[in-house]
Amino acid sequence: MMVDTPKAAVLTGFGINCDVETMAVFEMAGAEAQRVHVNQLVTGADSLEEFHILAVPGGFSFGDHLGSGRLLGNRLRFAIREQVYDFVTSGKPVIGICNGFQVLVKMGLLPGDEEVSLSQTASLTLNDSGHYEDRWVTLEFNDASPCVWTDGLERMRVPVRHGEGKFVVPDAELLQRYFEQEQVVCRYVDPSTGYPSAADEPVAYPLCPNASMRNIAGVCDPSGLVFGLMPHPEANFTKWLGATWTREGEQSDWEGEGMAIFHNGVKYARNNL
Amino acid sequence: MGAAPVHRIEVTPRVLPGLQDTRGEGVRRQLAYDHDIEIESVRSITGYMVRAPLTGAQLLDSLRDLFTDPVIEHGVANQNLLDDDVMFTPPPEIAIQIGFKPGVTDNPAQAALGGLTTLYPDAGAAGDVATTMTYLFWGVPEDVEEKWLADQLHNPMIERAEIATRIHCRSAIWPQLPFPDRPPIQFEEPAIVDLEVSDTELERISETGLLALNLAEMQAIQAHYRDLGVRALREEQGLPPEAPTDVELECLAQTWSEHCKHKTFAALIHHKDTETGEDSSIDSLFKTHIVQPTLDIADEVDWLLSVFHDNSGVIAWNDDWSLCMKAETHNSPSALDPYGGAMTGIVGVNRDILGTGLGARPIANTDVFCFGPPDWSGHIPKGLFHPSRVMRGVHAGVRAGGNESGIPTVNGAMVFDERYLGKPLVYCGTVGIMPRRLADGRESHVKTPSPGDVIYMTGGKVGSDGIHGATFSSIELTEDSPSSAVQIGDPITQKKMVDMLIEARDAGIVQVTTDNGAGGLSSSVGEMAELTGGATIDLSVVPLKQAGLSPWEILVSESQERMTIGVKPEDCADFEALAELHEVEATAVGEFTNSGDFHVTYGDLTVASLPIEFLHDGLPQLELVSEWVPPEHESPNFPDVDAEGMGAVLAGLMARPNVASKEWWVRSYDHEVIGQTVIKPFCGVNHDAPGDAAVIAPLHGDTRGAVISCGITPRYSDIDTYAMVAASVDEAVRNAVCVGVDLDKMAGLDNFCWPDAIVSEKTPDGKYKLAQLVRANRALDDVCRAYRLPCISGKDSMKNDVTFDGEKISVPPTLLYSLIGNHHDVRKAVSSDFKQAGDAIYLLGETHQELGASELSCMLSESHGGGIGGQVPNIDAERNIGLYRALTAAMSAGLIASAHDCSDGGFATALAESCFGADSGCTVDIERLFADDEELDDWGALFGESLGRILVSIDSKDSEAFEAAMDGHACHYLGMVGEGDQIVIDSGEENLLRANLAILREGWKATLDGGAP
Repeated sequence: MMVDTPKAAVLTGFGINCDVETMAVFEMAGAEAQRVHVNQLVTGADSLEEFHILAVPGGFSFGDHLGSGRLLGNRLRFAIREQVYDFVTSGKPVIGICNGFQVLVKMGLLPGDEEVSLSQTASLTLNDSGHYEDRWVTLEFNDASPCVWTDGLERMRVPVRHGEGKFVVPDAELLQRYFEQEQVVCRYVDPSTGYPSAADEPVAYPLCPNASMRNIAGVCDPSGLVFGLMPHPEANFTKWLGATWTREGEQSDWEGEGMAIFHNGVKYARNNL
Repeated sequence: MGAAPVHRIEVTPRVLPGLQDTRGEGVRRQLAYDHDIEIESVRSITGYMVRAPLTGAQLLDSLRDLFTDPVIEHGVANQNLLDDDVMFTPPPEIAIQIGFKPGVTDNPAQAALGGLTTLYPDAGAAGDVATTMTYLFWGVPEDVEEKWLADQLHNPMIERAEIATRIHCRSAIWPQLPFPDRPPIQFEEPAIVDLEVSDTELERISETGLLALNLAEMQAIQAHYRDLGVRALREEQGLPPEAPTDVELECLAQTWSEHCKHKTFAALIHHKDTETGEDSSIDSLFKTHIVQPTLDIADEVDWLLSVFHDNSGVIAWNDDWSLCMKAETHNSPSALDPYGGAMTGIVGVNRDILGTGLGARPIANTDVFCFGPPDWSGHIPKGLFHPSRVMRGVHAGVRAGGNESGIPTVNGAMVFDERYLGKPLVYCGTVGIMPRRLADGRESHVKTPSPGDVIYMTGGKVGSDGIHGATFSSIELTEDSPSSAVQIGDPITQKKMVDMLIEARDAGIVQVTTDNGAGGLSSSVGEMAELTGGATIDLSVVPLKQAGLSPWEILVSESQERMTIGVKPEDCADFEALAELHEVEATAVGEFTNSGDFHVTYGDLTVASLPIEFLHDGLPQLELVSEWVPPEHESPNFPDVDAEGMGAVLAGLMARPNVASKEWWVRSYDHEVIGQTVIKPFCGVNHDAPGDAAVIAPLHGDTRGAVISCGITPRYSDIDTYAMVAASVDEAVRNAVCVGVDLDKMAGLDNFCWPDAIVSEKTPDGKYKLAQLVRANRALDDVCRAYRLPCISGKDSMKNDVTFDGEKISVPPTLLYSLIGNHHDVRKAVSSDFKQAGDAIYLLGETHQELGASELSCMLSESHGGGIGGQVPNIDAERNIGLYRALTAAMSAGLIASAHDCSDGGFATALAESCFGADSGCTVDIERLFADDEELDDWGALFGESLGRILVSIDSKDSEAFEAAMDGHACHYLGMVGEGDQIVIDSGEENLLRANLAILREGWKATLDGGAP
């Protein structure tokens, strides 16, 4: 059965704060987006089953206390475990951005495993700089990745806005396996280099803003349906939000680079659900 | 509560290849940067004291699932991590544990308790948590004392430190703070305060009770209780007929505080001017010079929806949406606890937006700080913090408050002067948005309460924190200032409440709302009661952080994150359901009436009854005297320099804290959340050139925008506050013009921060300071009228003095002028960076010999002696606005490539900053500027701070069209954007200044680099 207008659930509550713009970009990409408070899922007032796409937006859920994403991750992992499991195993796309990525990593959905066992294997920790930053970076995408959200993407300029964005997998073998399974979706690169140039050698601060292992900015699960990244593609939905747009001359099309991710997600849902 | 055991959980980051203890490393770096102390290694342990009935298995599970990140941290329960010789070998030389004092908000602990409740609802509900942070040191220089080290890590006003000294550590005696239990509070029945006493005794009652009321005000209260009608009524109500209860006296003191009633601005002032011979009276500066101009402008425009009377000013942005803005100061709390004081400042002003009309959504913050010099090496009175520590703390508080609330910080400023060593000025502003009409047809900027509406208190609980904030900020700061006036905010509790209340507004449930800020419930309910003509509340149902608070404390406590809402009885169930969904505290505490009284009970007992009229209008008007005697200053000593030397002067100016790049500090604010920030704090090819004003496009996908800017120029106050205010207003407008504001729809906010201006033993020069205030207000009146710029909201903070250790420090008279304006099409917005080599550079506006109290004069007076005297910038508002209009039209026509305002350091610093944005130099000839003013010399041309000037660049092909657009206005072609690394400024044949861009930038970035990266 094909869905014309996929329904996207955009989680809200407890300090999530990018819900409004995340809803807007899904609408722009052709989905019908709805803000869903986590407790509406807990009480059963809403059910994830009714939706085709799940987005966990950025923010400061529970103030980042006890580590970013942990407390909201626990709400999802313990309070609505079944719903989350069913959603993911039914082949529906999920995206976590910034704090949403932290949530998906801390609850073990990313990088995840085929069994969707929800056990944590990676983490996002304090930037090596020791502080929160809002700055624009350049991402390069892995064209071999199964990620359904990033199909056809090469590079993208996006802001990072985080203090805990250093992606780490202390187990070197495991990290290598994520590479081999092409679960590493995007990495920080120096924009002055030619495409492709993503590499394992550390890209200098601030081009890689947080000293992530092997410059990793975003990963997907083995199926490619669940995707998370620290930077904010929704913040570049239009060119007038770009970091240097006033230097880039006249525009005929004002759609921003970040929209490609949401178009991909909606297209996937439309074609496959 | 039963004596559940306290479990001690300790967590530390694993240090593995590619992983560091970033928290510890941060402390190490900061000690090196701020104090030149090199320590080999610092590590950290986060501690949780968990008092909850957990089984052994639950404890271990929670350690894994909640307290520890199993991938990157190591945690133990009920063991001491420091005894683990694998983790910490060798053991540390010094260990310092920091925890909060009893009763201080511990946000991580509350979050942990919530997380525990997710896992184990019963144990969590019965539990309590407190957190600690332990820092471990290795390789500490011998001369660093443990106590000194601990002092750098905590603020004794709100935190405790337990130190394991070098000797302790050698014996493996580790720090272990006890659970921060608060001693039980003894509930006190309301007391009766006998006012039938001598005048001296009346003053003593005010002073010892921290009431901040003067004798005339105490006498007005005394007279009220002598009124026979009042006495008869009180008898009926079961209240002491002839004297106030402590609840009543406290309520009056809060409501009548300088903070809430703006007594100086409402005063009758007898003003003398020794220069002009003027001898006149002004009946309220506020009504005369702030309200009246706005009312006059309101006759001519249709977009002023709500001015002065609500928590923020509201303008109609377009047919469907309105915008509102408010700025506040949080100076006294920020002096005592920079982090908590500043955080409560920003989340507090967010609530002013939420409390506007029926509730607006906060969408942008502004932060303007005035600090002592960050590199200050002079004397600091005992009890005050070094300005660099104040700066770090304030910055961290505003960063946490803004970022965690999901509100972008889009605009701001930092100003440095040694007179801010005592009280820093911490201005926090917020812009809000709301639909013009709700679904039920009500206009959202109008409150609609009726008698019978139920009064809810939402958000946080009431504690003994924040008692006397309003009155405390109305007196000077001393060693004896109470720590209860200091609080830490909880942005997440507030964010949940914002989400909930906006939903309640859209559902049509909110009839009236206001925030609980200064004065707590006494002010919030007291103020709203004026709308219906009365209210009654029961203090015994108010949820408390700790049992035992007395009625007057509950009424005036300023505990954070609280709003007061009026809801129709039939909507209460829906309101409470929304609160439950969002996990927001909401308690019905009373109802609105039309009885004419603010009636307060504690259960069945009436503890206060104050006639609304007396509460709000009973305050006697102050009568004050002001006298203007122009100050005298020596002229600066100008050195004899060549073009290279002039380049070095420019480099010196660029590195001054007032001019230097604030990038390190500003980058740590989220300035882009909500996805609307079009012109950001930074621009240019390397994203490091400063923006002039923010442009936001708050409706996603819609090109209509808003401009947010500010102006602040306290230096000029040393010569004339009239010039200071004129320059501040012009700076805000100029900045807004640089990005393309709609000049026909802009509104302003005046935030005055003044030293005490009332003559007394402590303030012998009060007449002069009050005259400064008079002149400042006259400038505001004149310039706002000329610019058609209505003030829609404002605030004054009139006691910015400290006396510590017998030394008095007063701030220079300071006005922050904030501006919000319309932008027709954000795609036409302009940034400050030069765009490409070959673009033509112009200076718009006239340059005069105006170096008085300029940044250059201040620099020269420090390096070459001499004074700061000279002509302060004069304003010709009519000339300026004409030029601004012409420039704005040229922007709409797409003719302008860049625009940057000339302010601190004048034309030369503006030129350098626009060059930074292009990462390329330029060659310009400024000979034409000298035609503006025959007095003008090279110093004045390069570094003078004449108002109304904007540096622009245009694509050379547009020269003709641009010059035609600017016809009739001062518009000087200067040269072209270059490709090299040199800034060359000539005047005809003469080379005036030569500087290397990289060197200028290095100094500009180094001064406030925060301890990079």
